[in-house]
Amino acid sequence: MNPNLELAISAFAGSAALTSLFVILALIGTLNPYHRPAIPMLGASIVIFASTYLFAHIVGIPANSIALRLTMSEGVLALLDIIPIAFLLCTFMFLQASLRKRPEDPLLALLESEPGSE
Amino acid sequence: MSPWAAQVWLGMAITIIGISMHRTGPAFRRHPFGIPLALLGLAVMLFRVEKPPHPESEVVAATMDAAMWLLPALAGSTLVLIGAPLYWRTRLLPLLAGWALIVVAWYQYYSIMNVALSDALRGVSALLGMTLALAVFALCVRTAERMTPQEPETEPLSEKEKKYVESVLRRHLEVADEP
Repeated sequence: MNPNLELAISAFAGSAALTSLFVILALIGTLNPYHRPAIPMLGASIVIFASTYLFAHIVGIPANSIALRLTMSEGVLALLDIIPIAFLLCTFMFLQASLRKRPEDPLLALLESEPGSE
Repeated sequence: MSPWAAQVWLGMAITIIGISMHRTGPAFRRHPFGIPLALLGLAVMLFRVEKPPHPESEVVAATMDAAMWLLPALAGSTLVLIGAPLYWRTRLLPLLAGWALIVVAWYQYYSIMNVALSDALRGVSALLGMTLALAVFALCVRTAERMTPQEPETEPLSEKEKKYVESVLRRHLEVADEP
């Protein structure tokens, strides 16, 4: 297979699996009595297993726990590659936020005039 | 799987759970265990006695390399958000310190970056993979919400409840004149 295509599919499968793992962990971290996490967890698990199978098929290894670790590792490396793009967008948003003028709000003005407030 | 490989993934899992936990609750009072848990996860992931095996060793090495610019980027972003006129007036000191750290982060990234065509291909593929995973998640959430039975219509407030709500509103709005 074309090495570039293999690289692209590996990154695709890895980032899909890692994002789904993050979804599962986020559901665990924010668990509360009003949550209904069963279906989202099932969906995320299916994405993880399908991505691992795709990765194993592309690389030519059996779809086992080693393939799962390799898929997740590929996901971390791919994610680290796109973080600078996200940071670039954030930098522009920070620039806008820093240069904006806060709209005058009579309620906020009232709040700020109270003793002890900033 | 060796214990050192498991340690890397366990640390990452604890970090993500900690960050998610931190995001719960109102903005002015986040979950108290979120940040400590995330820091514990990072410590578990990065501090170890033996070098983890392949492929976790590459993950740890890449994370350490990225931390060189990610740490000033995160600290700078936090300071800019504190100093920018989002909720209050501009706070000049945190704002300037934040921008200084963001410049340092970009300089650090520029000094270590090595952009190739394959990286762009990998980045685009990674974005598509993330989009797919998030789309599946959104679809699952929609399905779960549709399957949730509707609750019956709420009964109107009783006189006692009305008086209680009124008293709470009065206390919070600080109404001085009694009717």
